[in-house]
Amino acid sequence: MDKIELKNLLFLARINAKEEEYPEIIEKLENTFELIDEMQELDLSDLKPLNNPLELSNVSREDKGNNRNNKKKFLDNSSESDEDYFNVPKIIE
Amino acid sequence: MNFKEQRENYRLKKISAKEAVQESLVKIKNDKLNIFINHFEKQALANAEHIDNNFNDFKDKPLSGIPIAHKDIFCTEGLPTTCGSKMLENFIAPYDSTVVKNCLDAGSIMVAKTNMDEFAMGSSNETSYFGAVANPWNHDLVPGGSSGGAAACVSANITTISTGTDTGGSIRQPAALCGITGLKPTYGLVSRWGMIAFCSSMDQAGPFAKDAFGCAALLDAMASFDEKDSTSTKREDINFEKSLSKDFGTLKIGVIKNIQKLGISEDVINAYENSKTVLSGLGHKLVEVDFSELSSGICSYYVIAPAECSSNLSRFDGVKYGYRSKGEKDIANLYMNTRSDGFGAEVKKRILIGTHVLSAGFYDAYYLQAQKVRRMIKVKFENFFKDVDLIFMPTTLDQAFEKNRKSDDPNRMYKEDLLTIPANLAGLPAISFPNGFKNNLPIAGQLIGKYFGEDLLLNTTNKIQGVTDWHKMTP
Amino acid sequence: MAQNDTLIKGWQPVIGLEVHVQLMTNTKLFSPAKNQFGEDANTLVDLIDLGLPGVLPVLNEGAMKQGIKFGLATNAKIAETMIFDRKNYFYPDLPKGYQITQLHYPIVRDGVVEVNGKKIRIHQAHLEEDAGKSIHDKYDDKSVIDLNRSGVPLLEIVSEPDIRSASEAVEYLKKIHQIITYLDISDGNMSQGSMRCDANVSIMKPEDKEFGTRAEIKNINSFKFVEKAINFEIRRQIKILEANGAVEQETRLYDSIKDETRSMRTKEFANDYRYFPCPDLVPTNISEEFIESVRKDMDELPEEKQERFMSTYNLNEYDAGVICADKQIANFFEEVVKDADIQLAAKWIIGDLNALLNKHDICLDESKIDAANFSELIQKITDNTISGKIAKEVLEEIWITGTKVTEVIDSKGMQQISDEGELENIIETILNENNNQVIAYKSGKDKLFGFFVGQVMKATQGKANPGLVNELLKKRLS
Repeated sequence: MDKIELKNLLFLARINAKEEEYPEIIEKLENTFELIDEMQELDLSDLKPLNNPLELSNVSREDKGNNRNNKKKFLDNSSESDEDYFNVPKIIE
Repeated sequence: MNFKEQRENYRLKKISAKEAVQESLVKIKNDKLNIFINHFEKQALANAEHIDNNFNDFKDKPLSGIPIAHKDIFCTEGLPTTCGSKMLENFIAPYDSTVVKNCLDAGSIMVAKTNMDEFAMGSSNETSYFGAVANPWNHDLVPGGSSGGAAACVSANITTISTGTDTGGSIRQPAALCGITGLKPTYGLVSRWGMIAFCSSMDQAGPFAKDAFGCAALLDAMASFDEKDSTSTKREDINFEKSLSKDFGTLKIGVIKNIQKLGISEDVINAYENSKTVLSGLGHKLVEVDFSELSSGICSYYVIAPAECSSNLSRFDGVKYGYRSKGEKDIANLYMNTRSDGFGAEVKKRILIGTHVLSAGFYDAYYLQAQKVRRMIKVKFENFFKDVDLIFMPTTLDQAFEKNRKSDDPNRMYKEDLLTIPANLAGLPAISFPNGFKNNLPIAGQLIGKYFGEDLLLNTTNKIQGVTDWHKMTP
Repeated sequence: MAQNDTLIKGWQPVIGLEVHVQLMTNTKLFSPAKNQFGEDANTLVDLIDLGLPGVLPVLNEGAMKQGIKFGLATNAKIAETMIFDRKNYFYPDLPKGYQITQLHYPIVRDGVVEVNGKKIRIHQAHLEEDAGKSIHDKYDDKSVIDLNRSGVPLLEIVSEPDIRSASEAVEYLKKIHQIITYLDISDGNMSQGSMRCDANVSIMKPEDKEFGTRAEIKNINSFKFVEKAINFEIRRQIKILEANGAVEQETRLYDSIKDETRSMRTKEFANDYRYFPCPDLVPTNISEEFIESVRKDMDELPEEKQERFMSTYNLNEYDAGVICADKQIANFFEEVVKDADIQLAAKWIIGDLNALLNKHDICLDESKIDAANFSELIQKITDNTISGKIAKEVLEEIWITGTKVTEVIDSKGMQQISDEGELENIIETILNENNNQVIAYKSGKDKLFGFFVGQVMKATQGKANPGLVNELLKKRLS
């Protein structure tokens, strides 16, 4: 992994890091991938991927709801909000 | 005093819930091991009084009058839920998790929330934003993780039961390192609603107690079908406490072939061999099973868990709740700085790994391959269980280790989970119980069962604990 | 592949549309919060919609039924198993940092709709969550977030690149709109964002084997803008290619004020959505029985309704087609003809009522016309209470005020005069006042008959029963 790849990865994950930290981060990640890469030796082409251990299916609910209005409670939990909205820095489209 | 005695005392009115809570609170306040992130004196006492005042309504509930500590991963309405992270240091959950609610309904009183690795990512409790927890047996050592606080709490006799979660061993490994009993249920037995997600397809909540009896009673309270969790399973109610006295007859138990090749310490292997003798002594038949694919479980786990966590933790962006970096002038910086300051190093590392394995060009080689390894492990277990009723193996490679352990192997900490991960990948239930001591430090073994075979796991462990005393040791 | 009549300056446009349709359900796709438009900001937000730590989604069966209805209406394949995936990206109106959608196993695939006799294939239609709304004009220095829309169920309908002109794109879109409104899948209200459209546009030479590089135009919110945006984009691409340039594969926004598309700010890095199956949800198998139960509850489609109107009401194909084009109008027609003459009602709906709706550019529900009142109007024509000419005036009146037809007629004295004695008196007066014309008529100027009729109508402000006037005049002048 080079610096440009790491920079892209950091941006995708929205995590900041100083350039001088890059070598250490790269080393840590590469160590982990060395561990993970052991599985590349296995030939598993016949196997279906397993997403969820119990392989359940068909869980849904009726289209019935509530009229709960949590507006105040929810907005109070945000560190920047006004009476009606969550606030964020100006987004320029 | 263990759970059974404590509950008996309450039911016989030898002690009130309030007195039990007060006792726990005194110990919590004197805690030198950094076991707790928050405790709730006022609420706990009020709740205890309520239970005392309604004695008849609660006396037959599985957890009647019992103080309990919850891992700080379970949302508690109106009270802080930090998940061991700066990101949620001041977060007040607006709702209760199903586990917390179930435990409340079962007559227990939450006294505190326990320390943990940040977002349950760690095997030593050292990644907590609120500092490491000390092992009650030796304060220089770690209690294991991620439910380190929860295990230490019971081990140190502060409460007789506590809740934890286990994604790759986070109940069983700290239970082992602290010398108590801990059960990871079948994926889907306990609702995940309100339990902060790390790896959704493996996370499962479970009980800690000194012994199988306490675990059974707590599991009776925790387990429930929950319409709010699509992966929760509707099934016939089993009373785990009652099933402890059931006779399951002679069992066929799989034991690991060539165990000495797995990098397990001599002391752990000795304890394992001793337990095999105990199992034979109980009349069970031992059969060797070949689990040479075991180690690929780690590869699979360290792809899938980071992948899911990278997505699950995207919601922490500073906008709706939790930590927010101040004075940011644009949205990209708000995200980048909030997440960089709010998450610790291990969490960020796993987010980066997870982001990488899901990204274009890497998905097939990593994520898909890991899911196939997962299938392989599941199939392996299915084949074992055609022949055996339970599988027995050690819980950990070694005993509790020192804080800031130095190792030549940069992946040493991840390999810590070698023996616990397979059950998580396959979603199977597994119980860890103390099965030996060396240098005044506990050693543990684990039984892995068939899907929804918790009753057999608890029953068998209970029988072992009927003829051994390791679970009665106290630091 | 190319159709010559759609070539522009020798270039063949190739267009595919992605239509996002908000589904009509009581609750959101994965949360029990209400699915409703126009409520106060952040009042329709459940724990799940806020993406709180620890919350989990549970699929709304109602949304699934809507998806299946669309599949049945377009002769598509309904998935045996559908699976939800997570699409990961950061945006403040996306509370979880990912959208739950369907990538590989959508609820519907391989559908088809017919537009002017041409088949346009639907690649797939999948269920997904809507995002919240970012509002940028409340403060100078901040944007604000409203999560009422967060989690509202969407069906994204993705066409194959079968469309060859902007007008065909509009026709296709109208067809989709007709289907979803007909089956109550969606209210289809484009101005409220219940139906939004992205257009993939490229151009090629008719002889080319491969499509050109396409640009995606995002979030176009009216039929008119779809046509304009695509036409602009086609012209833009022609200009580039004819100057030997290359079209960039990119996302563009349509600016309806400047009537142009422009590139969305290029991100520093390419986005990578990192799709993977959502581990909080399980695959859904859709059984034949379930599909049949949905089919049974389904309203008839426009073509089916047209057929029925032709056989039940004896309407001709054209009239039935016009009336059935809009479900509101078709339902209105059926109400009206419970008591009123069928052919006359059809004539008035297709003619005068439609003209008013078009002129004011509103739909029937938004107007003040209701079926009972309109039926009354037709009945008053049939029983000769008012003439057709007066009826037009009454219609204008009730269009504006919504007053009852009988009240309008009474208060304005609009009843037709059919009293023979009264009319005879009026005729007498007119003939006396126009003696010269009477003499001329009697000497053979037959055309003057119309003049006398006109005078009578004028004198009665058009209220005289025209048939009776003819009859009485003929008798008097013979």
